[in-house]
Amino acid sequence: MAEAEAKKTESQSRPALEVAPGPHVHHGALTTRRMMLDVIIALAPVLLVSVAVFRLYALKQIVLCVACCVAAEAVFDLMRHRRPKIDNLSAVVTGLILALSLPGTAPWYVAVVGSAAGIGLGKVVFGGLGHNIFNPAMVGRAFVMICFASAMGATAYQDETSAVHAVTQATPLTQLEQTGETTELWRLFVGNTNGSLGETSALACLLGGLYLLIRRSAAWQIPAGVLLATGALAVVQNAMNPGADWTAAHHLLGGALLFGAFYIATDPVSSPLTPMGRFIFGLGIGALVMLLRVFGGYPEGVMFAVLLMNSVTPLINRWTIPRPVGGPVERKT
Amino acid sequence: MAANVLKQAWLVLVLAVCFGAALAGVHVGLSPRIEANRRAAIYDAIPVLVEGAVGEKAEQIELGGRRVYRAYDAEQRHLGWVIQASGDGFVDEVELLIGLDLEAERITGIHVLQQSETPGLGAGITEQDWREQFAGAEAERPVRLVSERPDEPNEVEAITGATVSSESVRDIVNAAVADVREAIHAGESAAQGGNGDGQ
Amino acid sequence: MANDGGPTAGERFIRGIIPENPVYRQLLGMCPTLAVTGNLQAAMTMAGATAFVLFCANVLTSLIRGLLKPHLRILVFTLVIATFVTIVDRILQAYLYQMSQQLGPYVPLIIVNCMIISRCEICASKQSVFRAASDAVGVSLGFALALASIAAPRELLGDGALFGFAVMPEAMPQWVIMLLPPGAFITLGLLLGGANWIGQSLNRRKAATE
Repeated sequence: MAEAEAKKTESQSRPALEVAPGPHVHHGALTTRRMMLDVIIALAPVLLVSVAVFRLYALKQIVLCVACCVAAEAVFDLMRHRRPKIDNLSAVVTGLILALSLPGTAPWYVAVVGSAAGIGLGKVVFGGLGHNIFNPAMVGRAFVMICFASAMGATAYQDETSAVHAVTQATPLTQLEQTGETTELWRLFVGNTNGSLGETSALACLLGGLYLLIRRSAAWQIPAGVLLATGALAVVQNAMNPGADWTAAHHLLGGALLFGAFYIATDPVSSPLTPMGRFIFGLGIGALVMLLRVFGGYPEGVMFAVLLMNSVTPLINRWTIPRPVGGPVERKT
Repeated sequence: MAANVLKQAWLVLVLAVCFGAALAGVHVGLSPRIEANRRAAIYDAIPVLVEGAVGEKAEQIELGGRRVYRAYDAEQRHLGWVIQASGDGFVDEVELLIGLDLEAERITGIHVLQQSETPGLGAGITEQDWREQFAGAEAERPVRLVSERPDEPNEVEAITGATVSSESVRDIVNAAVADVREAIHAGESAAQGGNGDGQ
Repeated sequence: MANDGGPTAGERFIRGIIPENPVYRQLLGMCPTLAVTGNLQAAMTMAGATAFVLFCANVLTSLIRGLLKPHLRILVFTLVIATFVTIVDRILQAYLYQMSQQLGPYVPLIIVNCMIISRCEICASKQSVFRAASDAVGVSLGFALALASIAAPRELLGDGALFGFAVMPEAMPQWVIMLLPPGAFITLGLLLGGANWIGQSLNRRKAATE
């Protein structure tokens, strides 16, 4: 019937049927800008808590990272003779997530180099937004983490002379690794501890994460997979070390797990497309986080877990191609 | 058949013989120098580790299953011991020289002979400031790593971001010092048993 | 003998440096390019050692080119290259002991540097000694330039120094990643991209003027 229609329109000079590559659904709620705006709104509670806990440390890092990411985006777009796509807000989101994953005490050049590396090496060299393999903010963070290890390592978080209370303590996971001391669950929940700016408060991450899930700007399968895998492995680990103070609940609420599960892993570009794939992706991140926390040299492993799973995203996509409606019933492999 | 093979391969054979001769010549000409370089790397470090010692006078012995150098000064007085020990680092094998005083009671210093740790991180084990922390440590108890500001003689500050490298140096030092100290003390008590001051 | 049909000595020399640069245009010799460009001293020692091997191998191969059997030529090339690599390895150990310790296995690995065997195959086994020699000099210069272009930014950012001399202010933070393997890949990738971009825009300009 479509053929007949096409033949009919062929005789007329003006085609009635327009043929274009997908996506074909256009809707105001589905633009990049709208989605990024949702992420920014969801980040609001995390931003508020980080500024409340870390004061000027947080403010400095957030302003610097966002400004540098936007500037880097503009410069690199101009170098490629393209209109700077700042208005889709993706650079702002990268900057916010990068800032919230840095320690407040990190010097200014960490933010500047991290932003430039994240946008440049993480996104632009692959061809810009939508073509990047890895989460740009995590590429930037990994770059500065290896580059300036002394400004980003576990001991760099702590500054005993600081006037801000949270910064004078060791981070909960570092404390656990070095002295075996456990932080109270309640403090991990509200966020009154030291750590990367955005990771301290489980409550704020949950609030923002729920908003993202309700708005469907983030796929629920990813955080579900992360929390499930981490929780299950943490229970196993606890069962193997009975009497340990650091329980599965601590593993779930501590460190960057919730921040990573809701804001970092859910990046639509570098995560799988299919619902099943997203769940596998989340499970992989959760398992790697526990592996890195328990056996790794670093106290926390969310960043490396996300980057590692990003790199297998194309494989997961290929494994989980859904069978089309009316497609072959069984395919021999 | 044999003639045919020779016809095909005579060039390769001639070249192989010529090159073999050339390499043998190079080897004969240069190997004394290369050997001297290798020894110098150890001998140069001995005076730094044992004060007043002369590198060339050092005598290589086997002690406690380790390669140990007795360090002498110019007048042949025995001043101390230098242990050559190696172990796994973060990237590859780390080879150390460890200085001990005459009674094997204190570590007098360490020197890194060979390492390929990460530049800027683990390679910090070669920095003088870091190595100096081992000097003065008591050989009786093992050296410990601390994360900041050591305040006791047997404490060494781990290098930030290079815990594995720091730990491997600590383990090499502790194992080698324990072995050699035991052997030296056993040897001393055997030698001095008749004098009555053996322990 | 004087005219053997191929490019002349001058052409060989010039081509080796930029138009057919072994690293940027042919992507040969990637192992030393990535592995020993953490500082300029190591990179230049490697370039020197490679140049010695390439020059000797090219000259000797050209001298015996009339005797080569086609099916045994690769064997002869490898034999020649391996001999000179062993010689240069011993010389480095005798006269530059510290540097040879730092370069470690990468000096013996010159044997498998495709850049050298490709010059034996393309040029030396077909052309006169003079042309082969000038080809070796040109390609060696191109290789040295390429190694320096990668080593200089890595040492400058990673260590704040050039040839071991501190040139950047004390306060500059050291970009440790530049000294690590990722730094080599990132620098090579960006420079390769830059070289291609310059090459393309030059071609476009040429096409526009013609």
